[in-house]
Amino acid sequence: MDYFAGVDIGSTMTKVVIVSDRIEVSLIGPTGPEHRKLANRVMEEALDKARLTFEDLTYIVATGYGRINVPFADRQITEITCHAKGLHSLLPSVKTVVDIGGQDSKGIKIVNGKVMNFVMNDKCAAGTGRFLEIIADSLGVPLEKIGEISLTAEKIAAVSSTCTVFAEQEIISRLASGEPIANLLAGIHDAVATRVSSLVKKLNVEADIAVTGGGAKNIGLVRALESKFGRALLVPPEPLITGALGAALMGKDIFAKYMAEGQKPTRSVNKLEEATFFE
Amino acid sequence: MAFVLGIDVGSGYSKAVVLEEGEIRSYAVIPSGGDYREAGRAAARAALEKLNLTFEDIARTVAAGYGGNMIDFADDTSTDISCHAAGVHYLFPSARTVMDVGAQYSRAIRLDDEGRIANFIMNEKCAGGSGKFLQVAARILGIKVSDIGELSLTARKAVEFTTGCAVFAESEAVSRISEGASPADILAGIHNAMASKIVTLVIRVGLTPDCAVTGGGAMDVGLVKAIGAELGTGVFVPDEPRITAALGASLIARDTLITS
Repeated sequence: MDYFAGVDIGSTMTKVVIVSDRIEVSLIGPTGPEHRKLANRVMEEALDKARLTFEDLTYIVATGYGRINVPFADRQITEITCHAKGLHSLLPSVKTVVDIGGQDSKGIKIVNGKVMNFVMNDKCAAGTGRFLEIIADSLGVPLEKIGEISLTAEKIAAVSSTCTVFAEQEIISRLASGEPIANLLAGIHDAVATRVSSLVKKLNVEADIAVTGGGAKNIGLVRALESKFGRALLVPPEPLITGALGAALMGKDIFAKYMAEGQKPTRSVNKLEEATFFE
Repeated sequence: MAFVLGIDVGSGYSKAVVLEEGEIRSYAVIPSGGDYREAGRAAARAALEKLNLTFEDIARTVAAGYGGNMIDFADDTSTDISCHAAGVHYLFPSARTVMDVGAQYSRAIRLDDEGRIANFIMNEKCAGGSGKFLQVAARILGIKVSDIGELSLTARKAVEFTTGCAVFAESEAVSRISEGASPADILAGIHNAMASKIVTLVIRVGLTPDCAVTGGGAMDVGLVKAIGAELGTGVFVPDEPRITAALGASLIARDTLITS
């Protein structure tokens, strides 16, 4: 059996997926300041979980913001390509992907399983997971609860600030003037959804539409996005691993191509412990 | 001779200027806090007290700024852009481009030869080019905003920020600190990031020398230096850059007094 690994180092979370003819294992861990040691550790854990060894892997593809910091990868591929690939394998009917990550958000247009166009915001914290994280923090509500709470709002308390810094101030002063937390959270989710949907609408949006990334785990945000797009959105069962899954599948394709040409690709690193950077 | 009063209630500070015979007689700058109406009144009172004057001695009052329309004792209000233009033209008649770096806003104004507004652009949507960015920097480094400028001048190698966003820059600064970057190098990098945002505004209104920097941001020598470097030209800075719009409001009060 051939095994292919995909490693997606995002700004906030690191994900590893190992596939054969099915998904063997997927693992998610936080991205710390030390990407380089972290990739090795998360890979080790994933291999343990799958009861595989590093030598069992046929090909490894790294993706994401920190992809150059995966010393044992055989190839680096952009997260846009990997995202499209992974999502297409899970939800083949999807033509538009809305990805909301820890420090960026993007829209990807998929045609026949390939990236046709994409838009991305990684310049401004508004419309990213970071915005929600900061607001959750200043309201003293755990990040994983804000979505649920926002759905209990009686009305949406509109947030006039775009900038995260100003929105935080606005939220604090409105909380002080008696606005219920649920209404404020509804306003915040609406603000993120407005920002993200206006970014994605620069693409020619076609259904089906899927939401991925950490933002997709927030039900309040998914509902807010649904109201902006005017339709139900699809969410993969584990929305964080789409990029890593795509990376593993890209590795599988590369391997198949090599084999078709009568070659066998060589791994760049044979032992995980040898995979270190020399600066 | 008549005294006139100009008040500028900003998001960070409230300023008042008392003008007589076209000369600044006194001024005051106080934090705005949460009550703009009271802040505007308190700034005015502080400026008047320095001259042993009361509100009855003032022939005309013009208010401007973020909370300017809350100043109920003012005879009139004006826009802060007009007041800025008037203030800068009074201080530096040759200035044609003004960059105002306030607590929450940054803006660029282009003036014509008579000091009238030819064009302006304002950034109220993003903390990236505003004083708020300096407050964020001061907080993570545990220093006072007023100490940033001097400290930044001792930088050896400014940290290069990949972002102009105050939120992303905060995490970037924390990473650079953990890698050993000095506070001075971080601050110099933040000044460069801010200057680049501010100069983008200037380019959009059309850069015409001479240039002046006003607002609280102009008190930061490091920021002024970074803006000058980014523009490739020297910039004028008023002695008290925060009162420029209040001064302008007092000049408008004087001019409308004569014509009324």
